[in-house]
Order: sequence, then C-alpha cells, then structure tokens
Amino acid sequence: MSKLGVYDVAVRYGKVPALSDVSFSVEEGERVFISGPNGAGKSSLLKAICGAVPTSHGRIEVDGDVLNGRSPEAIARLGLTMVPEGREIFGTLTVEENLRVGTGIRRDKSAIETDIDEVYQNFSILGERRHANAGALSGGQQQMLAIGRGLMTNPKLMLVDEPSLGLAPNIVDQVYETLVNLQKDRGLTLIIVEQSSARAARVGGRMVLLRGGNVVGDGDAAKFAESDLLKEAYFGQDKSEVPS
Amino acid sequence: MNAIPQLFFDAMSLGGIYAMAALGIALIFGVMKLVNFAHGEYIAFCVFALIVPSTDAVAVMFLGKAPAFVLIPTLLCVGALVAVGSEFFVFRHMRKATPVAMMISSFALGFVIQNTLLLIYSSRPKAISLWPELNMPIDLIGASIPLLQIIVILTTLIVVVTLALLLKKTRIGLEMRAAAENFTMARLLGVRANVVITGAFALSGALAAAVALIMVTQTGVADVRMGGQIMLVAFIATVIGGLGSLPGAVAAGFLIGAASVILQGFLPLEARPFRDAFLYTLVIVSLLLRPDGLFASNSTKPRV
Amino acid sequence: MAQTHKQKRLSAWSTPVLLIAILLVFTVLITVFGDKSLARMAAQTLIRVTFVVGLWIFVGNSGVVSFGHAGYMAIGAYCSAWLTLKPQMKGLFLPDLWPFLANAEWHVFPAAVASGLLAAFVALLSGAAILRLSGIAASIATFAFLAIIYTVYSSWEGVTGATSSVVGLARYSDQWVTFGWASVTVLAAAWYANSSSGLALRASREDEVAADASGINMYRHRLISLVVSAFFTGVAGALFGHSLGVLNPSSFYLGVTFITLAMLVVGGIGSLTGAVTGVLVLSIIIEALVRMERGMEIGETTLALPTGAQEIIIGIIMILVLILRPAGLTGGRELRLRIGGR
Repeated sequence: MSKLGVYDVAVRYGKVPALSDVSFSVEEGERVFISGPNGAGKSSLLKAICGAVPTSHGRIEVDGDVLNGRSPEAIARLGLTMVPEGREIFGTLTVEENLRVGTGIRRDKSAIETDIDEVYQNFSILGERRHANAGALSGGQQQMLAIGRGLMTNPKLMLVDEPSLGLAPNIVDQVYETLVNLQKDRGLTLIIVEQSSARAARVGGRMVLLRGGNVVGDGDAAKFAESDLLKEAYFGQDKSEVPS
Repeated sequence: MNAIPQLFFDAMSLGGIYAMAALGIALIFGVMKLVNFAHGEYIAFCVFALIVPSTDAVAVMFLGKAPAFVLIPTLLCVGALVAVGSEFFVFRHMRKATPVAMMISSFALGFVIQNTLLLIYSSRPKAISLWPELNMPIDLIGASIPLLQIIVILTTLIVVVTLALLLKKTRIGLEMRAAAENFTMARLLGVRANVVITGAFALSGALAAAVALIMVTQTGVADVRMGGQIMLVAFIATVIGGLGSLPGAVAAGFLIGAASVILQGFLPLEARPFRDAFLYTLVIVSLLLRPDGLFASNSTKPRV
Repeated sequence: MAQTHKQKRLSAWSTPVLLIAILLVFTVLITVFGDKSLARMAAQTLIRVTFVVGLWIFVGNSGVVSFGHAGYMAIGAYCSAWLTLKPQMKGLFLPDLWPFLANAEWHVFPAAVASGLLAAFVALLSGAAILRLSGIAASIATFAFLAIIYTVYSSWEGVTGATSSVVGLARYSDQWVTFGWASVTVLAAAWYANSSSGLALRASREDEVAADASGINMYRHRLISLVVSAFFTGVAGALFGHSLGVLNPSSFYLGVTFITLAMLVVGGIGSLTGAVTGVLVLSIIIEALVRMERGMEIGETTLALPTGAQEIIIGIIMILVLILRPAGLTGGRELRLRIGGR
C-alpha cells in the first residue's frame, strides 16, 4: 500500500478548473517534488490533499484511508501536516505558542516537551526568541517556524508548499538541508512544491511535473533537469495545439 | 459632593458594561467573522430567565430567587447555552455563507428571540428587584458612590483578566487565538473548528449573562427592548476598537462609556435628550478618521 | 444567433414592465374582489414595494447592506406632515416649526416629491461620510445613522412631536396612488441598474480592490445610488404617513428595518425581481398571520396565534431562506422576456 495515493483527482474553483485527472502515488519515506509553471495546479494539489479545498472528482488516500470529504482537522489526525505557501505563521502568537497549536491532536503528551526542545535544537534562533511574537521574525526564521510547527503534530507525511518563496538563496539552502535531515531522522515522507527544477535536481528525489492541471511527467528529478520535457512543460505548447 | 470622582465612577461602571458586551461580540467576530446582532437578545434572554413568565408589571423571581452562589453560575450557563444553541441551529449551517448573509441572519435571529420573549412576558416593562441592597451609596474619596458601581467596575476587571488568562493560558484559548488569526491554518494543524466556535459562543453567551445581571441590578427593570440599545453601543465599541480585537473592544467600551457620561454631564440641558445622537455622530466621525478602528492592526485590509 | 445589443436592452427593459404588470394585476384583483381591509393591505404592500425597491437601488447595486433606510423613510414621512398639515394643527402640536413650514399648506403630491428630495439631500450628506467606509464598517455606520435619526425624531418635542404621535394627516394613499409610486420606483430602479453608474457599481461589487485598480470611482457611484435610493424611501415614508394618518418615530426603527430587509433577502438581494417578489410573498404571509392572530373560528372555538408570532415566523422564514437558498427565492435572476435571438 502506498503512503499517499492520488487517483483521477480534479479541483475546480467555481467554473474554473485547477486540476483535472491527476494521478500518482508516493511510497513511505520518499521525497517527491511537485513542479511546473505558474498556474499548473501545484498549490491546488497540495490544498486538495490536506483538505483545504474540496475535490470535485477522484480519490485521495493516506495509508488506504480515503481523505475526500474529511475536514482538514480530521486529515491532520491521520498524520499529515502542511507547511503552506507564504508560511502562514500566527503572527500575533509567540514562537512557542505557534509550535503548540498543532500539539492538540497528539496522544503522546509526554513527548511534546522533548519535541519542542528538539525543534529549538534544530533551529537555535527559534529557541532564543521563543517568547517573541512570531510576526517579528524574518522570512527565513518564519519558514523554519512553519516547518517546526508542522513537525509538532508528529506527522508521517509532510507537505511543503514553495519553501523557497521570497527567501535569499543561502537561506533556501539551509531550509532544504533541514528538510533532508528531518526526513532522515524521522523517516518522514516529504512532498515539496518547488518551482525551480534545478533546485529539485540538486536536492535529489522524484519529480512530478504538472502543467495546465495535468501530470505531464513523473521521474527522477536529476534526469528531468536534463530532459526536454521540462522545457516543454514551461515553455511548450499543448500537444493538441501543435500540428504534427 | 465631589463631581469629578462621581463622573469617573459613572464612566467606569457604564464603560464596564459596554466593554463586556463588546467583548462578547468581538470574540465571535474574531473567530468566525460573524457580526452577531443577536448578542443583545442573549442579554435580554438572560434577564428574563430570572423571572417567572407572566404579563404582570411586577416580576416574580424565578431563577432570581436562588442565592447568589447558585444564581450567578446558573445564569452564566443559561447565557452560554442560548449562544451555543443559536450557533448549533443557525450559524453552523452557514459556515460557507458570506459575512453579510451571516450578519443578516443574526439580525433575524435576534428578532426571533426578542419576539419570543414578547410572546411569553408581554411588552410591558417589569419592575425587578435583584439584590437591592447593592444600590446603597457609600462614601469614597469625597463622592457618594453606589456600592454597585464599585462592584461593576471590579467585576469588569475580573472578567477581563479571567478572559485574558483563559485565552493566554489554556489550550482552548490558544486554539481560539490561532483560529481568530487564520482559521484554515489552525484547522490544518488539527484544531477542531466546531470546538473552537462552540467555545467562543459559550464564552460570548456567558459574557452576555454577566451584562444582564449587572443591568438588572442597576436599573431594576426587565424590558423586552433592553437588548437593542446595549447591542448597538456594544457593536459600535467593537467597530471602533477594530473588529475582532479584544483589547480594542474593551478600550472602546470604556471610551464610549466615558463619552456618554461626559456628554450627559456637560451638554446644555436642552440638548441632553439628544445625547445618543451626539454619541453616534462621534462614532461615525471616529470611523471616518480610523476606518479600521482606533486600535487597528493592518491585517483587516484586503490584500492585493 | 446571439441577441443584438438593442435586443438585449429591450429585454432588460421588459423586467420593469413585467413587474409593473404583476403589481397592476395584484391591485386590480384586490380592488375588484377584496373588501376595505384588503384594499388597505394592498396599499401597505405597495408602499413596501416602493420602500424595498428604493432600498434595493442602493443595496442591490452596491452590495452594502444598509440598516439606515428606515431613517430616510422617517425623514420623508415627517417632511410631508410638516408641509401638508393644517397650520392651526401645527401651531398646536408642533409649535417650534420654522415659520415657512408652520404656514405651509401644500398639495400632497408636491409634498411627496419634496419629502423624497429632503431624504435624498440627507442621504447626500450622511452618505458622503458613511460611504467612505467599506463593507461591514459601512453597514454599522448606517445603523448608527438610523439610531441618530430615531433619537432626534423621538426627542425633538416642538418639531416632531417626539414620542407622542402626529395625527391628522390626509389619508390619500389608497391602492392606486401607491401603485403609481411603486411603478415609478420600479422604473427608476431598472433605469438606474442599467445606467452606466449602476453597471459600474455592480461590476465593482464583487471585488473592491480590482474595481479600484480599474479606475472605477466606487465612492461616487455608491453615493449616487444612495441618493436615488433615499429619494424613493423618503417618498415611501410620505405615503406611509398618509395611509395611516398617524406618525410615530417608533414606526421607523428596528421593526420596519427588519421586515424590509427580510423582504429583500427572501426575494433575493441580487435582482430587482427579487425585491418585488420578496415584498409580495412576505406581505401575503404577514396578512395571513395577522388574520390568524386575530383568530379564526373553527366550529365553536376560536383559534388565535399569540401576538408576536408573526415576527417569529417571519424571522424563521428569513433564516431558512438564508441557509437553504442564500441568493433568495429568485436566485438573483430577473424576470424578463427574450426579445429576438436564441
């Protein structure tokens, strides 16, 4: 059984389709990049998986449990966590309070404090500013906080939407280093939306390429970076529009 | 008699009532963007829960007969129940509705509650005597202050501090604050929408009950229409304080209390009947100067 | 083939014509078959049509919910009383009126127009302030406006009679006069909705930020629609006074605000047809409930709904419509003929 299965999923906003017939599956412990040009439906896909937007068609499963129709809070209880685009940290809460929001679903209450300490060890700046308002953190620090906050739900599957957005390149390096280490330590399954295929190739993993709401490619990220498929996805025409 | 301390205590006790009513409205708005016009009727409902249904002019105590240590918690529960009930029967079914649609339905709900009270208790205002000994004046820094005013001010402080502690120190409080800032994100982290919303309504209803107790003791009247007036002022306090901001609501409640006591004290005699008109004009002016409220954060503006 | 531009315009104009035809049928039926009390109910209903359609001109086009229109209604009602009451009466009951008003003895029709104009003028002033706000803040400011008007009119002893009623207004608002004004209001509403101002306003309703960016001066168009809207609610106020013959500030407060908003919501805020439908549907329900409150004889016993049941039932209907059919009975669609095209 796959960790995550996405079968023929479609999402529409009113009459505007954002995703159509998207299918792929992710195995436990895998690292998968979702890539593609703007408007390809990358964020919509992640939002559909975590229950923030409803699917209009198809099925999504985690460990064989169907997610469709479940509320976001119920999906979070299945061990899935989301680090959203733009971080969406709670700016009026302190750093530590941000971390604690997600602990309500955990049964292992005793492990919460050690987990918080672990987050502070991984991100020392968060520990130093644990009682500061999260809104006062820099972009990179907020990204670290968003990841740490996601970890506090004790997830098995983590969705990360555009972690590099608006960050300086050296900070992006740090963010990815952290994500890769976390994955190693905790056996996380990671799904990351990353617009830069070069970045994905460097970090390494599998890549699912979206364009116009469809999956147009699926394979090793490093190999993708060299192929024409990528160029075609970003700059090319739809096959139907090109006379052969 | 010394006029300045007198005015100060008047302003503080009136402002305290307004602040508590405004808190009830701001709590709900913060969590679910609902402008709850029914809040005033929660207050009226709690007042009438004190007395036996009848159409007589003098009320016979019902809940009001109970000793204070039973009465106060019971009435707080009654308020919480009414508010939670209204969420369960009305607003829960409107989660995807626009804020405007929710606002209109709360207006309708308020009307339903008010007319239900009218139907049971008739429209005749009733004299009601709850804890009359509290209206006894005592001397304090040169002014003669009814004991009740001091109790109101203390109660307000206790309520505000308790609420602040609840929000700051408890799990549900943390979840409410997170949900008020970004509901979707809170849910993605496993915060249960229904629990948070029900909690906010329960707190809001309990606040309404506290206001009801104070108003009854102070005025000695139960009137079906009493909810409308206080609701309007509370709303205005919420808006001036910056919709959804709890400290803002409290501050604005005291501000309006002060403004209305000062207007009452200093307006020329022939203009006094128009006091409320001046008050509401001040409100519109303050909205014009600070459309997002006097204590606004910048997050309420639509982002481009 | 699609409709041409001209055919579309004609089709849009079929809406008010059809609506007026419906009102005409309603009025004729009641005049022919109804008794005196039904005729009075018809006049009340048509006054509400004037008010609610007037309210729709603002709310329907701007998307801002107004709780303040009962205030404009009060302004119109009292203005008509000032202009038409016999000077002796005014000297007795409203001693502080300015000499010009105290001596005025106008004909009812110009008085109704003047009442509308005064309401429109107050709307211009109040709107100039209130409409600088947006969304919910604007709605709450309209509430404050209503409270101001209510406080002033129920305290200004020598000019409005305060809480004691003004009596002796000529009761000329029968079903035909009110039908005439209701029709004019429907035409004006259709005209405004299809004018460049109305179209711009509705285009901007969905997205304030985008409208701002596209250079639509929302403030100006909102103000225009409020002024037009207040004119007709003012006229409705004048008609209201002259149908009962009695004025009291409490007639123009929360009760009427609630019932007219209920009509707009039940019919559907999105369309003119919705405004008219809401009034007709709820007025008929209200009439039925009022009769039931008076009591129905079934055999030996008289069954009567208790007083207040009417508001409770209307409130529940309103909530149910908001939950089950948020766009109202008409769903925001207009009643219209398709002229030409397919």
